[in-house]
Amino acid sequence: MATREAGKKMIMLKSPDGMEFEVEEAVAMESQTIRKMIEDDCADTAILIPNINSKILSRVIEYCNKHVPTTGATGAAASDTVAPAALAEDLKIWDAEFIKVNRATRFDLIQAASYLNIKGLLDLTSQTTIDTISDNSLEEIRSFLSTKNDYLPEEEQTIRRENQWAFQ
Amino acid sequence: MAKAARAAAAPLHSGLPDEIAIWEILVRLPPKSLLRCRAVCRAWRSATSARDFLLAHHARQPALPIACGDENGGSRYYLAAQLQPVARLDRAFCLCASCDGLLLLSEYSTATGDRFSICNPATRQYAPLPMRSDFIPLGMYRHRPSGEYRILMHREAGFLAIDGQDACYIFALGSVQPPRNIGWPQVRFSGVPVLLHGSLHWHLDKHRYLEEHWHLDKYRYLEEHWHLDDHMSRSNIIVVFDTRTETFRKICAPVVPDNNKLFEMDGMLGMSGFNDPGPIIDIWMMQDYENEVWALKYRVELKNADHLLVQFGRFVEHWNVAVASCDGDVLVLVKFGECLLQFDINGKLVCFNRKGLCLAQHRLKQTLVPHTFFPTLDGYSMNAWPFI
Repeated sequence: MATREAGKKMIMLKSPDGMEFEVEEAVAMESQTIRKMIEDDCADTAILIPNINSKILSRVIEYCNKHVPTTGATGAAASDTVAPAALAEDLKIWDAEFIKVNRATRFDLIQAASYLNIKGLLDLTSQTTIDTISDNSLEEIRSFLSTKNDYLPEEEQTIRRENQWAFQ
Repeated sequence: MAKAARAAAAPLHSGLPDEIAIWEILVRLPPKSLLRCRAVCRAWRSATSARDFLLAHHARQPALPIACGDENGGSRYYLAAQLQPVARLDRAFCLCASCDGLLLLSEYSTATGDRFSICNPATRQYAPLPMRSDFIPLGMYRHRPSGEYRILMHREAGFLAIDGQDACYIFALGSVQPPRNIGWPQVRFSGVPVLLHGSLHWHLDKHRYLEEHWHLDKYRYLEEHWHLDDHMSRSNIIVVFDTRTETFRKICAPVVPDNNKLFEMDGMLGMSGFNDPGPIIDIWMMQDYENEVWALKYRVELKNADHLLVQFGRFVEHWNVAVASCDGDVLVLVKFGECLLQFDINGKLVCFNRKGLCLAQHRLKQTLVPHTFFPTLDGYSMNAWPFI
């Protein structure tokens, strides 16, 4: 396995379009899916990440790099010692910038976060979609998520009636 | 892996694959939005009606403090930090207990005393309960071994009952059995319990209690009735009810100033103390549950306190403080005048509600899971009175 600095294990992540990304093991392990592969010893040389193209994978790695708990010389998590409130505030601002992407990229990021099982990234990417669904009409939701209405008009009316209070 | 493989089969950039839309997005929606989404398409309706989905959905709902208000002789219930009520009821109910998404309500009349009922605001189910009016509910919980929702109650013997003794009783929702007497825990306690690690917790301010019962011989009382050793007699006490074994025990609580409140946050037991003047809210967390180790985690100094007093009115009463966690952020709720103010962990005002609400320490974790006990109760109704 490659090593860049003493004590820092490196991992190679490969996207299906042939790009390779060398990342610290700790960064890659922000993904619970990759963590499990490493812990199960299924990750000797390089890990192929199916379904996630290099453009999205590089953004995911960018996110993990930012969110990995930084470790000090003693090995203790720095976030315990450096003003945690300031650190959290900084991350929030960074997240808000990170998520300023178009709809297609956001959906790709949601799928990547879901497959790689990165909770923070999934929370971040899904929230705007959740807000859109909560605030808009059924037609707008369908168009936003490219979902087809397969109800007959009277069926839709029945379902609306069943849950009438939710439409008030 | 299987989930991701299915996701990959969907065409790119055409929206989200159903699997992801349902299990990553819809599962995180508030109940009301989720119900609306059932009218989007057939696949969503059938997926979001399945029990495993509803359980996952419930698990993701935050457990937030409830704020109550009166409205033309009826009741309104809000979740902290939300502007729309989760329920509007056509009666002046009193909120007695809550567990998951269920609310135990009581309605008082001089003729019948307290009459109890149970409701789920998210499914709009309601049913009266066959509980006697002289029971005082202490808490509600899910008994894991049986899957039943149960109510822990207290009944005082009263002055006239010569042979009667104070006792705690357990009543299972949907059961035809009468409440079961489980004896008396030797400690008198009240207030809203906190459910954590399968146990209900009540904080007991021993000193305040002794002041209220000044006629008692303090030391003899502590020794005889509370069974306290040296260690415990110096601290405050938390009464713990194990909901699996249905037995009581006691643990230590930090000695914080008066006006303290017990709560659950991020899987830990917490206690807030309100210091006036200041106003400063201290937040203690029980970092080691097994060894009963507490630490002062945050000290929240409300910013621009003078300005708040002018804008909203006086800070009301010590019980009008609640601390909770929502999406990883700590919320501090305080009532000033007629307004409910929400602060962040730095004491900065985040938002306020002017509707004259009172804070209940009860939490609501909304659920759309259909509970089997509801249809078995006499007088059960859905989507009808008392819901408005």
